[in-house]
Amino acid sequence: MSALRRFLRTPEAVAGAILLAALIAMALSASLLFPGDPQAIAGPALLPSFQDWSLPLGTDRLGRDVLAELFHGARTSLAVGIAAAAAALVVGAVVGTLAGFAGGLVDEVLMRITDAFQTVPSFLLALAFVSVVGPSLGIVVIAIALGTWTGPARVARAEVLSIRERDYVAGARVIGMHPLAIAFREVLPNALPPVLAMSSVIVAAAILTEAALSFLGLGDPNRVTWGGMIAEGRAVLRTAPFLSIVPGIALVLTVLGVYLAGEGLVETTAVRRGLS
Amino acid sequence: MSGFTISRRTMLSGSAMLLASTAIPTPGWVQTPKKGGRLVLAADSEPRNLNPAIVASNGVFFISSKIVETLAEASYDGKDGLAPRLALSWEGAADGLSVTFKLRDGVKWHDGKPFTSADVAFSALQIWKPLQNLGRTVFKDLASVDTPDDLTAVFKFAKPTPFQLIRNALPALSSVVPKHIYEVGKIEDNPANNAPIGTGPFKFGEYKAGQYYRLTKNTDYWGKDEPYLDEIIYQVLPDRTSAASALEAGEIQLAAFSAVPLADLDRISKVPGLKVITKGYEGLTYQLVVEINHRRKELADVKVRQAIAHAIDKDFVVKTVFLGYAATATGPVPKNDPQFYTADVPTYAFDVAKANALLDEAGYKKGPDGKRFTLKLLPAPYFNETKQFGDYLRQALAAIGIDAELVNNDSAAHIKAVYTDHAFDLAVGPPVFRGDPAISTTILVQSGIPDGVPFSNQGGYKNDALDALIAKASETLDASARTDLYKEFQKAVAADLPLINVAEWSFISVARDTVGNIANNPRWAVSNWADTYLES
Repeated sequence: MSALRRFLRTPEAVAGAILLAALIAMALSASLLFPGDPQAIAGPALLPSFQDWSLPLGTDRLGRDVLAELFHGARTSLAVGIAAAAAALVVGAVVGTLAGFAGGLVDEVLMRITDAFQTVPSFLLALAFVSVVGPSLGIVVIAIALGTWTGPARVARAEVLSIRERDYVAGARVIGMHPLAIAFREVLPNALPPVLAMSSVIVAAAILTEAALSFLGLGDPNRVTWGGMIAEGRAVLRTAPFLSIVPGIALVLTVLGVYLAGEGLVETTAVRRGLS
Repeated sequence: MSGFTISRRTMLSGSAMLLASTAIPTPGWVQTPKKGGRLVLAADSEPRNLNPAIVASNGVFFISSKIVETLAEASYDGKDGLAPRLALSWEGAADGLSVTFKLRDGVKWHDGKPFTSADVAFSALQIWKPLQNLGRTVFKDLASVDTPDDLTAVFKFAKPTPFQLIRNALPALSSVVPKHIYEVGKIEDNPANNAPIGTGPFKFGEYKAGQYYRLTKNTDYWGKDEPYLDEIIYQVLPDRTSAASALEAGEIQLAAFSAVPLADLDRISKVPGLKVITKGYEGLTYQLVVEINHRRKELADVKVRQAIAHAIDKDFVVKTVFLGYAATATGPVPKNDPQFYTADVPTYAFDVAKANALLDEAGYKKGPDGKRFTLKLLPAPYFNETKQFGDYLRQALAAIGIDAELVNNDSAAHIKAVYTDHAFDLAVGPPVFRGDPAISTTILVQSGIPDGVPFSNQGGYKNDALDALIAKASETLDASARTDLYKEFQKAVAADLPLINVAEWSFISVARDTVGNIANNPRWAVSNWADTYLES
């Protein structure tokens, strides 16, 4: 309860939480407010914003409702962001724990693999992966996770290195627990908080990467994505700039919201840990 | 001649003066061509191989047609729609076994050597027939080329070949390259492929990758007083949105091949000093086509194909996807073709109810979720319009209960998926009509084509009657009988729908008012521009 109060005391965290809540509300209400296919042709093409109140944000080059696309796009962005971050955190935590706890050759091998992934810019990695395998939502999630799991892996390893020397770990060894059981039941849960603290940055980066991939035409074409909407609008940037601006603003607000809320959360937990 | 001296002085007195002089309003239609000046235009792709005799494609012609000339060029008012270039006349024998070309006298290659019939014979036998993408089909029966004198070339065919086809193929397929340059070494590796040597009004200057191509005036050109321009610069602007701003800023004077996006044309046409030109591409018609994989059992049923044809609102496609800069299609020959087109074919009006009824009749009832079956749809990535039509088609199919899943690929992956792996159910393609159905149109529906040939029938469609019709037309020598056979061909294709023709479109040029003699032939953007000029 006091953590919540502390969280609410930081203004940027509140702003972030409101933005994030709005985004989640958009994603959840998308199929209620705009049932059916958001890519269905709803009216005349290139209708400007705020002219026809049944299509408040206007329509794109084929006459699709921009507002409906925006709501359904929130869903894709959020799904990709959370799924990619979750995948990156799970893989990173497992790899980091194994490397840190086992040490020796296993540590060497796993950390060199991590290095190898870290030397390639994560966006290029995602780009290469999607262009080889072909764009679909699952592939995009894997592609983004592929470039982002290394950060959590390094942080988890560093935590584990210090935790594995603690007394309770030695105790667990003495009572004959399996090393893997010690690693994942005793060590990993205690190493998690700093890893989880990275989640907001990873979610924000994943949303941006997904948008960039869609912008380059490597998103899932069967789903509305904000990046895809910006790319669509680019061809008519001079005549209908709102087509790029509207999803662009949504993207900025989302990333800002995720980041601020994450920062607030980190600060709250840091304060608590510092006090305890 | 006063115009000549004035413009020359203006040119010599430097670019500041030139800029100032463009500000003086001059009515564009009473001008006689002026000499001098540099034309700067937008280029959106950078072909590496610039030899039009090997790569007969519009991207290559756009640059190299000014350097390397063909035997004849398309023309609005010439006999059979042709105007002489390197050949002065052409005549086919009644038996279809030979065609005689009389060549132009006094033509010199850019390196000073004279142009003779030996160059024509060499180009035809060593390049067009064995190496050229389109020439392989048209010149497949070419056996030899006799050169009785320096200015006569007689093409001898092993099998009767319709003269009408050879004639229609001249503008795109007959680029003549110098024998003395190409006879040493392997033709594909010749350095002249990247720095072409020809007889045209402009010489190849230089190429800076990612920046520009520069062509310079050929002072020894055979055309009297031609060319008018001193230089042509192709400014590489791969981003389509930048061409419009470059035109407005006066950095370029011309953007051909729809380098300015269709959506910007309305705005740009109102900018003073710029004009939007829709003429000059009649000989380069692109067709928007739904390619069908007949290996899918649902699509092998003609009723399903007819249902899809009824589900497409062609007027909507022309109005929304092409913003009106296109025409609806009725069959495999475009409406603007003067020789072969017939409107007398089965048509498919936009009618969702009828499409649904046809699908029910074919036995594909809607499931509880409103869907009949799922298809994979691959829109070709080459044009914005093909991609957008893919988005539209998905919606149009959803309206008749067909769930289409879009698959996006880059160009190389798309060609492999559709034409080699056949990993598609429906594809959106932009084939080109090149003045004669036998050049690149019949191949879209004819059977027996090996896997991997791009822009051909790779949908597994086989129709013996249609194959027989195509074979018969390819050996019919009489032009009007041949034309009639191709009219029948259009009817057969429209009735059985091996593919669905949706629309036909061409390109748009945007130019400064000062550029003269634009769009004066049906292949203007890929012609030699000897008479193009700049008003000062």
